[in-house]
Amino acid sequence: MLQFIVDVLIRTSDIMLVAVGLSVVYSLVKFPNIAHVQYAMLGAFGTLALNRTGLPFSLALIGACIATGVVAVLLNVLVFKRLLRSGSSIAMIGSLAISMILIAVVLGIAGSRPFRYSSGLSSPITLGSTIISVDQITSIACGFGCVALLAVLLFKTGVGRSMRAMSSNPALAAATGVDGARVVNGITFLSGALAALGGTMLGLTESVHVGLGTNLLLPVFAAAILGGLGNPLGAAAGALLISVSETLVTNLDFGWLFGTTDVYVPVTYISAASFVILLVALLFRPYGIFDREVRRV
Amino acid sequence: MKFAKELCISAVASALLSIATASAAQTVSLGAVLPLTGASASVGDDQRRGIELAVEQVNAHNGVLGQKLQVVVEDSGGNAATALSSARKLVSVNKVPVVLGEFSSGITIPVGEYVVQQGDVHINIGSSSPAIRKIGEGSFSVIGLDDLSARFAAGDVFAQSLKDVAFIAPNNSYGQGVASEFKKRFESLGGKVSSVVLYSEGQSTYRRELQQMSRSSPQAYVYSAYGQEAATINREAYELGLSKKKWYGIYLTMCTSDTVPQAAQGQEGLEVASIGAGGKTYEQAYREKYKEAPKSSFGSYAYDGVMVAAAAINKAGAADPAKIRAAMKTVVPYNGATGTIAFDDAGQRKEQPYDKVKFDTKVVAR
Repeated sequence: MLQFIVDVLIRTSDIMLVAVGLSVVYSLVKFPNIAHVQYAMLGAFGTLALNRTGLPFSLALIGACIATGVVAVLLNVLVFKRLLRSGSSIAMIGSLAISMILIAVVLGIAGSRPFRYSSGLSSPITLGSTIISVDQITSIACGFGCVALLAVLLFKTGVGRSMRAMSSNPALAAATGVDGARVVNGITFLSGALAALGGTMLGLTESVHVGLGTNLLLPVFAAAILGGLGNPLGAAAGALLISVSETLVTNLDFGWLFGTTDVYVPVTYISAASFVILLVALLFRPYGIFDREVRRV
Repeated sequence: MKFAKELCISAVASALLSIATASAAQTVSLGAVLPLTGASASVGDDQRRGIELAVEQVNAHNGVLGQKLQVVVEDSGGNAATALSSARKLVSVNKVPVVLGEFSSGITIPVGEYVVQQGDVHINIGSSSPAIRKIGEGSFSVIGLDDLSARFAAGDVFAQSLKDVAFIAPNNSYGQGVASEFKKRFESLGGKVSSVVLYSEGQSTYRRELQQMSRSSPQAYVYSAYGQEAATINREAYELGLSKKKWYGIYLTMCTSDTVPQAAQGQEGLEVASIGAGGKTYEQAYREKYKEAPKSSFGSYAYDGVMVAAAAINKAGAADPAKIRAAMKTVVPYNGATGTIAFDDAGQRKEQPYDKVKFDTKVVAR
């Protein structure tokens, strides 16, 4: 049981931060930004590059988050805002193009080999009947800690209130004196930084490689959609639900069906599990499971 | 005036043509498709070195048919699509009569089938899936296939009183072949393979696969995986505490080529014998040129592949694929760096010597 909980927490922390970042900015930009998962990849490589120049890991991480946030703001101002004038599907295709450019640039600079932050191994720690490594604990703590901080920011501070106002009704928010441009840039910066943090944590527990963002694309979008796009805490809950379904599917022993022991669903089918959950959830709650909005008929 | 212009043009054209054919006629070119990038890049580099050493050796002894030998190396990228376009380039643009390659069975089989369909000779220098036997007439292997390695591994594991094991290998023709062969042999000896996991290549984590294997509480883990993926598997096995049990690697140098030594410490396994009776000169030449010990066991098979091809071309008397195919059958038994090479009826290596090895900061004999 403890092993199950640990597995779920590890998998949740892999996708949660990036999904929350996506959700935070979605209600503002109103188009699915495919390049968002590449910000995670950029952040992971940024931390790696800064770490290799001699900075300690935590400082490299902060530097990479700030840099990725800036990149996200620049791309939004220079590219996506202009594309949005032609419609959200054009902007989505534009984000796909940006995605490919980012991958090509990183591939050209860093190559296709996977990298790790340190050449040593992370020592395993025994917690009761389960084993977890220091890197995994760091990733879980960082992930949940940041989501908690984000919740505090959004619901307890003035800045957060402005962000939520802008997200739900930009015109009304502007009318009440919220500075639209600054808040949008602030939210975009935040989403980029969150993605970079998520990507670095993923690079810590797995490895830093060019495909890191693309591997995240489907689970992150599934988690964000499940929680309701525009609802950041919903995205965190969506990530939790996705990882619970994935872990359940691969942990359940179907031996009783065949009369033997130890028959498991092959890990290759794991994404199918989360997408079945997504499909079922969307059939009943199309706007996400936490949807509370009243919509006019 | 017009006639003079035509005369000029034809003179220039024929001069260029003769230069081109003259330069082509001065070298005999072979082709090689190797994993220079991708999960097996470390082994691919070692294979390339083996080929370079063989070319130097051949050219120091009068070359092939009195001409210089040249091997054109193309990257397979670690996937079949790129490998096939490289093979296509070698066969149609470079017009080589022999193509060596690759390393992963899932890539060697399509490349080999393409090359023999085009009428050329294919030499397998690194793959071992039993499915390679079916590539067809014109394909030869200088390395033994997995029916031989699985028998050796099953016997070696069983002899250590390990009767209940879990098995993991990649989900491609190599992994499927070695998994079914090992399971067959191990169970015929009386052992039990409680879990067989075929992992998808190219993932960045194999935690769930490892957890599924560990649930059946085996006495030992038998594995075979490509360099980068094996590094992930070994690291995550260490993080999950699974490395405390015995790990047995089939082709241990491939499995540990990119692994952090601490994670693989204490592993045992089998490896293709890389330095046979005639192999001391190979190892010496390798150390002299590259200033380090051979990186894996597979460089010497690439070396032997080129040497056997050169010998066959010399015997055939021409760089003609059909003649080379016939000559390959008669140029053996050949004493190479990896021992005596002889082919069975399907062109596969008849006897494959294996070494019992263990990992002690690097792969050493047991």
